[in-house]
Amino acid sequence: MSAALACAAIMLVALIGQALRPQHRLLIVTGGAGAACLVSALAGTATTGALLAAVPWDVLVMLIALGLLSELLVESRLFGALAVLSTRRTQADPRRLMVLFAVGMYLISGLVNNLTAILIVLPILLRLYKLLGVTQRFLSWSLGLLLVACNLGGAATPIGDFPAILLLGQGRMQFTDYLVAAAPPTAVALALLIAIVMVVVRPTRDLDDGPVRRRLTIAVIVALYRNVRLDLRRLVPAGLALAAMIVAWMTVPPTVVGPELICWLGVGAALAVAPRDGERLLRTRIEMDGALFLLALFVMVGAVSKAGAFAAIARWLTELPVPAPLQLALFLVLAAVLTGLFSAGPSMAGLLEVAAALAARMSPTAVYVGLALAVCAGSSLFLTAATSGPMAQIMTERAGLRDPQGRTISFGFFQFMPTGLLAFAVILAVGVGYAMLLVAA
Amino acid sequence: MSDPTLGHSFLAAAGELGMCSAAWLFARTLGDDGGPAMVAEARDQLGRDFPVFDAVCARYLAGEREPRVDPTPVRAALAGVDRVLVIGVETTFLDAAVAALDCEIGLLTYGELEVDWPRVLANYGGRVAPCELPAFQRYAGSRGALLTFLYGAQAAVAHVDPAWLRVVAGDVRTQFRELIGWEVLGGEMYVYPRWLVQAPLVDFSWVIR
Repeated sequence: MSAALACAAIMLVALIGQALRPQHRLLIVTGGAGAACLVSALAGTATTGALLAAVPWDVLVMLIALGLLSELLVESRLFGALAVLSTRRTQADPRRLMVLFAVGMYLISGLVNNLTAILIVLPILLRLYKLLGVTQRFLSWSLGLLLVACNLGGAATPIGDFPAILLLGQGRMQFTDYLVAAAPPTAVALALLIAIVMVVVRPTRDLDDGPVRRRLTIAVIVALYRNVRLDLRRLVPAGLALAAMIVAWMTVPPTVVGPELICWLGVGAALAVAPRDGERLLRTRIEMDGALFLLALFVMVGAVSKAGAFAAIARWLTELPVPAPLQLALFLVLAAVLTGLFSAGPSMAGLLEVAAALAARMSPTAVYVGLALAVCAGSSLFLTAATSGPMAQIMTERAGLRDPQGRTISFGFFQFMPTGLLAFAVILAVGVGYAMLLVAA
Repeated sequence: MSDPTLGHSFLAAAGELGMCSAAWLFARTLGDDGGPAMVAEARDQLGRDFPVFDAVCARYLAGEREPRVDPTPVRAALAGVDRVLVIGVETTFLDAAVAALDCEIGLLTYGELEVDWPRVLANYGGRVAPCELPAFQRYAGSRGALLTFLYGAQAAVAHVDPAWLRVVAGDVRTQFRELIGWEVLGGEMYVYPRWLVQAPLVDFSWVIR
């Protein structure tokens, strides 16, 4: 047990360290992984080879492959065309833009990873807001809602974000089962949030946007994209590959061809259609820092697991003298809080083994989808809980927005907090409620 | 109409469209909506900070409704040129030039304002290649040229995008077949031209007015 405590302490220190010093994130987590390997080897719980062999490489393959597919979609200029369309359709009305972009972000982040989704959508939205002229209050709620929609979209599909990919990659849930079970509650949570924000909070109430300003905004956006055409050479292969992959994920038994191999072959085929671009993307656009971070994380989680810590937590949880549904509810709340503190990757990777113990005693769908929603709630609690949050902060700072009084508008930890607290409560309530419904059914 | 954030909107547009192209877009849109009175009001509000906008509004109020864009002299100036590097962005004029020219065209991806260069370039469907500042001499040679936009060219001087001064120095002049300045404003500015810098016209082998 001392090895378990030592490995858990190393992981905890590494996770807190990377949260406090994000500029040294990779150095801290890879150092932590090395230290965990050393402790495991000295304690005799696992060799480094065994820990590396236990890394879910299939999940890493899927993350990298889906990241490359996202790049293909970005380079097809699909999102520029959508920006013009949405500006025209909403007549550049900030209220409608806010809702449309939140829903759009939910849909996009169901297909591409959250960071890519933010990198695609936010520059367009910030440009629109700069043209429209917005207030601090509007920006805080609008971008907050966008980030939460991004998290919810990522949790809605099995390929949207790391926690769901982990469930799919490790064979805990099948593609269709996850999609059918997770998409409705995430959509309900988003609808609830939008309704509360638009009806109760009303962030647009102090906005002074006249029709002239809206017409100027539309004119500028149309001019910025005046000759931008969809690049069908990139869009068609990427779209076809994605469609084929989804069909394969839904129909091919994972025991025959795993989801990671479907992803590998599908994205490979899309890249091979234009080999020069494909090779360029492979050489320059793989998110190595993200992959390295997750690799180190998996090694640390593996060390803690081999030492028996997760089994002990699972035993403690399942032996609590309360009914099984209450055990699940406690677990989901714990998962949400831990995610808020340590971010989605670490908490999902660590808690999945505990979830497996609960899934053996009640509906696995309730446990895993409940966990994905709880992790989503935690990711939405603080700006720092998901990687897309700090990215949104940096991009907003760079945009140099100002309010009607000429003051700089920012989007940081405290500006996000009201949206984060609301989203945390709503998503967690939906997640726990939904899990209880599934357990009861 | 009084709106303190309108200047930020204009700047956001001018970075990617160019000061003159953005000014005409703003003047036309405001004029279509509120007539000359609204253009005059916007000129009062923004003119001091954005002299190009001020000058364009003056032309709008004098009855003009769009800039004069004729790439024919540019085509003539580039006779015998295989490749031209454009310095500064003025999309209304660059669009016309790209349609009229058949040589290789590069765009210097350097600017003082916030610019999404991939989006700017995507409007040219691969006809215009990006060129970073340290690589501008790739366009040098006996069949290479530099082209920039002039604002309010007078007898001896004109105002240009600051990027021009990053590229052109005494020893650079001899490395290119032509250095072309294309007047886009069509008249002088009434306010001191912030955002632009002054360049002597003798630096150019062609000044197209």
